Amino acid sequence: MVVVERKELTLAERLYLPEIFRGMAITFRKLFAKRVTRQYPEEPLPTTEVTRGQPRLVVNDDGNIACVSCGLCEAACPAYAITIDGHETDRTIEREPERFDIDMLRCILCGFCEEACPKDAIFMSDELELADYTRQALVYNIERLKRPKSALQARIDYVYRLNDRWQSSSSTS
Amino acid sequence: MTKITINGREVDADPAQPLIRACHDHGADVPMYCYHPGLSPVGSCRICQVEVQQGDMPPRVVVACRTPVVEGMVVDTEAERAHETRRECLEFLLKNHPLDCPICDKAGECDLQDYAFAEGQGKGRSAEPRRKLEKRKSLGDVIVLDQERCILCSRCTRFMEEVPRTPQLTVSDLGSRSVIETFMDRPLTGNYQGNLADICPVGALTLKEFRFQARVWNLRKTPSTCAECSRGCAITVETLRGGEVKRFRPRPDLEVNQYWMCDTGRFALDRANLPARLPAATLRGQSGLEEADVEDAVDVLADMVGAHRASAVVLVSPFATQEEAAAVQRLAAELGAAPAFVSPPPNDLKDDVLHTGDPCPNRRGLTGLGFEALTAEDALARLADAELAVLAGERVVELVGAEGLAAVRASLRLVVLDAVPVDVPALDVALGVPTHVEKSGTWVNVDGVRRRLSLAVPPPVGVAPLEQTVERMLARLQAAEVRG
Repeated sequence: MVVVERKELTLAERLYLPEIFRGMAITFRKLFAKRVTRQYPEEPLPTTEVTRGQPRLVVNDDGNIACVSCGLCEAACPAYAITIDGHETDRTIEREPERFDIDMLRCILCGFCEEACPKDAIFMSDELELADYTRQALVYNIERLKRPKSALQARIDYVYRLNDRWQSSSSTS
Repeated sequence: MTKITINGREVDADPAQPLIRACHDHGADVPMYCYHPGLSPVGSCRICQVEVQQGDMPPRVVVACRTPVVEGMVVDTEAERAHETRRECLEFLLKNHPLDCPICDKAGECDLQDYAFAEGQGKGRSAEPRRKLEKRKSLGDVIVLDQERCILCSRCTRFMEEVPRTPQLTVSDLGSRSVIETFMDRPLTGNYQGNLADICPVGALTLKEFRFQARVWNLRKTPSTCAECSRGCAITVETLRGGEVKRFRPRPDLEVNQYWMCDTGRFALDRANLPARLPAATLRGQSGLEEADVEDAVDVLADMVGAHRASAVVLVSPFATQEEAAAVQRLAAELGAAPAFVSPPPNDLKDDVLHTGDPCPNRRGLTGLGFEALTAEDALARLADAELAVLAGERVVELVGAEGLAAVRASLRLVVLDAVPVDVPALDVALGVPTHVEKSGTWVNVDGVRRRLSLAVPPPVGVAPLEQTVERMLARLQAAEVRG
């Protein structure tokens, strides 16, 4: 058994009111301080190019999707969120995805797909919001994943900078 | 047998085979592009170089595929000098090879990709552009050629000369301008073109049918046996995401098909990916055929058979495995019927390479078990006199002829065990069976070689193996007899 000795309250504390006024003073001061609370749905969170949001597919400036459906992101995906089927095109790049599904409920936003992609076709966007009424609606198809290259440019530049840093720091013969 | 030393181990090598075979047989990993165990060696790619020391001579680097095995030779496949020369060869091969791997269908099973990954440099040293050639050149109905990817190993030209013996491909032009071509750009012909895509060590020759259908690492490969003729070539059944069969590829089996298979078998995917399936059990009810519980169906069947067993006909499909046939044979014995199988006539695909022209993969096994071969006409003639008929096995209705069966009098008690839906007036009970990619069992090929079939695709829900369904019927019949 441990006997806890309680501290005697001082006179000011026992009077109660001085402490109340001290507290109110802090509250009053904070009225004029800079606000840190955000009105979230109306006021979105700030994101930077480092933010790893949901993966999105790059559409090149010529209007063609950059993906050639090589399946490396599908293979790299640790959550098995990606399913791809390819088909033939008439362009010089002979193949493009016919179906490119990402099950956003499975996606863990790890960014392995972005790392695996040999064609700079999939990048982690700054889009983070994910809500819908059915599970099926959260399996995003190719049309919901396409984004113009300009919308992802900040992240693309960031990934390139990151890769350069990796390459200069690691010594591969 | 000749005694040689490979990587410090003394081994017995076959003097009739080149050194590379001895290396591969004894666990040494020597890369190869132009060499193929089923073709004559030419030594054009130079990637199989190993260090060999003979007698008092200093060790030399030689191509393993063009070096005969000589008593007492000491081989080092992992010598630094051998690796160095191989790396140099690889650099030249990669000089003009496009960086197509993300698009290429061969990626994942490409010898060049594998070896470049293991030994290649991360970056090319060449400043000159790669040569630009035709990337989508059609070579007939089966094969599409990408000349940029070709490393000119000449496996394809040798295959056409040596296996189907219809030389059609050649290396044309000289030096750095060499390309693989057919004479006057004529399309390839023959029933063995599909093998070109298998033997091509890179993605230069690919199948049109399989073009961009799947990434090969997503395919689950199950060893099995081809169903298209009585040769029974060893194949792998490759399925995508556990469902659709995407391709059949030959598996080396020196007793049966060596390394090859014909295009008829290779592209018989429709037989494996059936659009509509017969459910586990259907019964003739008030409003036509109705889906039913398998137990109920077997009960109805047993009652029906019990009353009409006087003159029964039991017919089995030529695709039945030995195991299925044995079960059907016991059923036939119970019913007092002579077991027989439907034997479609030979087709005109027979050649002197592999195809036997006989569409019954298990003819030899079934005749060996005592089944009688019946043509469709004979089978229908027997049905005309019978009171009860059991048609068991995949495609049995198609082979007897759906029109012929439809004309059979409706009073015949007809039991069908098939994979596809069937509706003829005489039909009373229909039970679903698995197709040849959905079952495991044994077939005996034209030469009497027993080979296994394996389950590559799960059968539809509730559909049990044919032998199980038949055994169930048999057990129910025998139980009824004891009670009766």
